[in-house]
Amino acid sequence: MSLTDAADASHTSAPATTRKLSTSKAMVEAVAAEMDRDQDVFVMGEDVGAYGGIFSSTTGLVDRFGPQRVVDTPISESAFIGAAIGAAVEGMRPIAELMFVDFFGVCMDQIYNHMAKIHYESGGNVRVPMVLTTAVGGGYSDGAQHSQCLWGTFAHLPGMKVVVPSNPADAKGLMTSAIRDDNPVVYMFHKGIMGLPWMAKNPRSVGPVPEEDYEVPIGKAAIARPGTDVTIATLSLSVHHALDVADELAGDDIDCEVVDLRSLVPLDTDTILESVGRTGRLLVVDEDYRSFGVSGEIIARVAERDPGMLAAPPVRVAVPDVPIPYARGLEDAVLPTSERIRNAVFGVMGR
Amino acid sequence: MTTSRQDVPFPTVSQSAPDAEGVLATWFASDGQRVSEGDLLAEVAVDKVDVEVPAPASGVVRLLVGEGDVVKQGTPIARLE
Amino acid sequence: MDTATRLDLYRTMVLIRTYEEAILREYHADKKPVFDIGAGAIPGEMHLSAGQEPVAAGVCAHLTSSDAVTATHRPHHFAIAHGVGMHRMTAEIFGRVDGLGKGRGGHMHLFDPDVHFSCSGIIAEGYPPALGQAMAFQRRGTDAVAVAVTGEGAANQGAFHESLNLAALWKLPVVFVIEDNEWGISVPRSASTCVTSNADRAAGYGIPGTRVEDNSVEGVHRAASQAVARARAGDGPSLLEVHTLRLWGHFEGDPQAYRHDLDDVPGRDPLPTYEQTLRDEGVLDEAAVKSVAADASERVEDAIAFARRSPLPDPKEALGLVFA
Repeated sequence: MSLTDAADASHTSAPATTRKLSTSKAMVEAVAAEMDRDQDVFVMGEDVGAYGGIFSSTTGLVDRFGPQRVVDTPISESAFIGAAIGAAVEGMRPIAELMFVDFFGVCMDQIYNHMAKIHYESGGNVRVPMVLTTAVGGGYSDGAQHSQCLWGTFAHLPGMKVVVPSNPADAKGLMTSAIRDDNPVVYMFHKGIMGLPWMAKNPRSVGPVPEEDYEVPIGKAAIARPGTDVTIATLSLSVHHALDVADELAGDDIDCEVVDLRSLVPLDTDTILESVGRTGRLLVVDEDYRSFGVSGEIIARVAERDPGMLAAPPVRVAVPDVPIPYARGLEDAVLPTSERIRNAVFGVMGR
Repeated sequence: MTTSRQDVPFPTVSQSAPDAEGVLATWFASDGQRVSEGDLLAEVAVDKVDVEVPAPASGVVRLLVGEGDVVKQGTPIARLE
Repeated sequence: MDTATRLDLYRTMVLIRTYEEAILREYHADKKPVFDIGAGAIPGEMHLSAGQEPVAAGVCAHLTSSDAVTATHRPHHFAIAHGVGMHRMTAEIFGRVDGLGKGRGGHMHLFDPDVHFSCSGIIAEGYPPALGQAMAFQRRGTDAVAVAVTGEGAANQGAFHESLNLAALWKLPVVFVIEDNEWGISVPRSASTCVTSNADRAAGYGIPGTRVEDNSVEGVHRAASQAVARARAGDGPSLLEVHTLRLWGHFEGDPQAYRHDLDDVPGRDPLPTYEQTLRDEGVLDEAAVKSVAADASERVEDAIAFARRSPLPDPKEALGLVFA
């Protein structure tokens, strides 16, 4: 099976494989396969052992590989993420989990000043082949300090790759690529796509996943749904909302093209530009904060190439610049819901 | 040709309360899909404990309950034909 | 202590001091008449380790090139004592293409993978990566150790405490070194730290803590011997605090107006003191002192000449080497 078949498996109506997994199980499958293949791969983080990860990112691994390779850590993010850096510098391939991306405040120095900079500062003489996994996203009333996406912050700071899978097949392929990459890769998985039994899930959280090893290339977006009228550039859980809206609007004679970014660093600018060049209309859906982030970056890249590509002003649907509220109605008002996406499509189509 | 049917029960997650109810959280197989023994069929939850349900044999699977349905432990959730 | 060891310690300290004095000279030479931090062949901040030679010499005497050292923004003494290539280190300080980081790191970001040496400008943050290097050594079944260096002020940083707990918990082969040079830039230890000895904090983590009081290179050597042996034996980490001396400012250009004891400082210089001890005990004579000084000078000037000969990096290269 070619890489594109595998990568597109989840986005086509006739998947190349019938075996389905949730996103969390697909991630775990990739980690397990790489741990089998390479003794230097090990996992560290809070509750990654017996608990299997708070969002099921490591379920079953400790039973299979033992506590020396699936290591529960104290609540010491600076220490254990820094330790992952040191182990990687010595040639191991650690996967360190930051339980919630919102916790980056207690350990960001190790991440952006060390993990991300050592390769450059050393003139390329020292590599840091580690993966930093972290849970992102809201929609289940976890409040301002446990619901953020923050991928814009990580993408903004040089020296770390950033990948954001939206579906099980990509989750497995991107994890494999991330582990094999000799650079630090921040792997950001939205809690709402994990297919957890205890959280409301979009049906696309469970999908076809090829059984064999495969890599989804880092830095390459995917056309989740081809279309002609408007480009919806988006990532993570918002891909599912965009696809839902696109399906619905097909009945209103609006043909949406949904571009699943999959990676933020490197960002697949070419695919975005090619799509907007065809459709002439751009809507960016980004569950991170609106200002100074991903949505502005994508629009800037289009404008830098040629503002004349756009038949209408670009629109962005993002979380406004407010802390994410707790009460469900308030939270729904700030998240990039299907309703906001639908209204935005009408807006950019001039209807 | 004989058809050997086999029921797939909702697993007994709670030993202490055999009549406990749980939820069919996720179907990984579709109705009418051919599965092999050991393939992942479903994930169920009782209280906070999640359990995977593998196919006990090979065959064509018929789904008897829906995702999100509340089911008593031991009740058939699928049938293999 | 045997003569050979004492002479080695002396030689290492002289080499370090000679180096720091040469860098001091080079750094200031082209920043006149008014000190402009961004000007000259060595631009930026410069944190020199004169006065702290005993710590580096005493600890690194027990290390081989297989052991790791993570050092601070004031790294030169540990780099030299641990065997970092002097030519490439100096070229990096001069921001040249032949530097350890091809000019991208500078004096606070020296990486020499041949001897597992790294340093960082963020104080205390060198402790966590040392844990990881120790983990790798342990998993590979070697008896290599990781030495993590920080300052007395940094013993109040979160990463310090997390690292001690984690290293103790996992019994990692780490030696935690604290250089108490009395000043966190301009803030004295008494104004930053709730205890009078950071070595006492080790008890809070269930690991041995030792404080060497008098900036004595032989005292450091003795204490480090135990700590390194303990780590190599698989018995876990130790904390070694050395009361040392920052002979010059926090950075070059620091007027040190806050430093009331400045007049006393030259008298506390550890190098002439040790030299005198060795002379008194017949280990050194005038000829030996001159010979050691000449060797050091030759090595250092050779390294500086190498650095100055190395080309400046092409600005077009600035965007490369972000990723492998």
